[in-house]
Amino acid sequence: MSLLELLRLSLSRLRTSRVRAALTMLGVIIGVASVVALVGVGRGTTSNITNRLSSLGTNLLTVSPTRQDATSTATLTLDDSDAIANLPSIAGVAPEVSTSLLVTAGDKDTTTTIVGTTAAYPRVRAYEIWQGTFLTDVSVERSLRVAVLGATTATNLGLGAADLGSTVSIGGIPFEVIGILQPKGGANFQDPDDQVIVPVGPVQKYFVGGNDVRSIGVSVADGGDMTATSNAIKALLRERHQLAATATDDFTVFDQTQLLAAASSISATLTLLLGGIASISLVVGGIGIMNIMLVSVRERTREIGIRKAIGARGRDILAQFLVEALTLSLLGGFIGIALGLAVSALIGRIAGWGFTFDPTTVLAAVLFSLAVGVVFGVWPARQAARLDPINALRYE
Amino acid sequence: MAAATPPTGAVEVAGSIISLAGVSRTYSLGRVEVPALVDVNFDVEDGEFVAILGPSGSGKSTMMHILGCLDRPTSGTYRLAQTPVADLDDDGLARLRSRTIGFVFQSYNLLPRTSALDNVAAPLLYQGVGRSARMARAHAALERLGLGDRARHEPSELSGGQQQRVAVARALVTEPALILADEPTGNLDSHSGAEVLTLFRELNAAGRTIVLITHDAEVAAQAGRQIHLLDGRVAA
Repeated sequence: MSLLELLRLSLSRLRTSRVRAALTMLGVIIGVASVVALVGVGRGTTSNITNRLSSLGTNLLTVSPTRQDATSTATLTLDDSDAIANLPSIAGVAPEVSTSLLVTAGDKDTTTTIVGTTAAYPRVRAYEIWQGTFLTDVSVERSLRVAVLGATTATNLGLGAADLGSTVSIGGIPFEVIGILQPKGGANFQDPDDQVIVPVGPVQKYFVGGNDVRSIGVSVADGGDMTATSNAIKALLRERHQLAATATDDFTVFDQTQLLAAASSISATLTLLLGGIASISLVVGGIGIMNIMLVSVRERTREIGIRKAIGARGRDILAQFLVEALTLSLLGGFIGIALGLAVSALIGRIAGWGFTFDPTTVLAAVLFSLAVGVVFGVWPARQAARLDPINALRYE
Repeated sequence: MAAATPPTGAVEVAGSIISLAGVSRTYSLGRVEVPALVDVNFDVEDGEFVAILGPSGSGKSTMMHILGCLDRPTSGTYRLAQTPVADLDDDGLARLRSRTIGFVFQSYNLLPRTSALDNVAAPLLYQGVGRSARMARAHAALERLGLGDRARHEPSELSGGQQQRVAVARALVTEPALILADEPTGNLDSHSGAEVLTLFRELNAAGRTIVLITHDAEVAAQAGRQIHLLDGRVAA
């Protein structure tokens, strides 16, 4: 018997018991759909993390102070920052002082983060200028009262390209707007586009006082060794802070890319885990098919006897029942794939990381449901094929 | 009814189509050996209409299974169309059945929820006949039995007599050398039963070999020759 004949036979059989066929397929549909959807969502998360990884700035080390105990006051200063800048393999150093203040432009105002930093900031933190210019070494050195607005802040204040050169009031002090940053998007717990960048001098002078900085962002030159540079910074700062050999660091050097790589790998592992759990339901669906096929062999014993009497060989009966199981599992698989893709597209849309069609997952799902059909279809089919025609014909 | 074409089965038959020599069949029920057939010898020549007659318990069913290649003798030789059945495995038996025998059962044994046409075409499916040829031959067989207008009906939509005629059409569609009928009138009213027997006589007149198994002497009387079975032995 050709495959086409077998398919015709099994489809006409499924047509005569539609509800049962649909219910049997439901197990495979749910299994395949959950595997496809969970793997799709997992991949979306992973690629989302990878995208953020590059948007945070590449080769970034962040140095921040840590208190050793309650009495000591750990500090990083602008001088520390300048010293780090003289180390080898450093592409840029951006010390940051920040505070939260009310910013007013005309009749609009907003409370936002004021970051005092240097000209290296865009390189270190991976920002791009959209309108006007960024801080220059000159404006930082002379502590000019100039400000570069984040995209969100500019919108909140109703400022655009035409407003370059206008004055905004930051905590009551007037600053000249010289530029607006391009939005980064990807709203985290903190909007990276809601801030005002000004030279470090005015922030220390008017708002926070002292020579301390909150953190120092260090961009390592392309091809530079992150670990070696990190160690060099630690050695330098220990020396500058005159720490005893036994004392612990009063600062930390934090490699952001490492954290995100770890997060990305955790996400990939979770994807695998979720996919694995979902495939359990696929196995359950397969057992459902086996159960129904065994019942079907029982019910159709007489039919099997008749078919054998009129010339069907064992393998014809085997093929008929196997193809029936395969039709159920593959049909269920295809519906499940469609459903799973729809769900992961919907979740991707809601979460905002978009939808990527992944042919490997689909192919794997098809092969998996094929395997389910074979594995769980063979046994009932063999039972059918082995029936003795005489007993089968007598069976009522 | 139009004259049936003489058998042109795949097997060329010269002389006896059925030949039983010392055939016995014993069932083991636990430790007890129950003889169902004991040393049966007879031949059926090509073109004969033979009735095998016996009361219940005489070994009729066993005889039907042996003749129909659904079972093998415990001892002795059974040759169907010159082929010794003992030499064949299950697939070989299935092939021999498919080429040589058309079955007609007491309870019709049509495939449920399957149209008359597909029922009649089913044996051809297992001979590997293509779909269009299958449908054409099945249609011709149904026409020959006056059921052309019932081709799309399922067994549950047909009367007993009609179902049995569909079963006869299914038996004839492969042009088998032998029609093996097991109590074909057992489930039918006398009118339909008489019709089926007339049908068999006509088929036999057209050259078809028929073996009919029955407990009913009146039915057996329609055949050209009778073989009486009693307690598993052929009675004189």
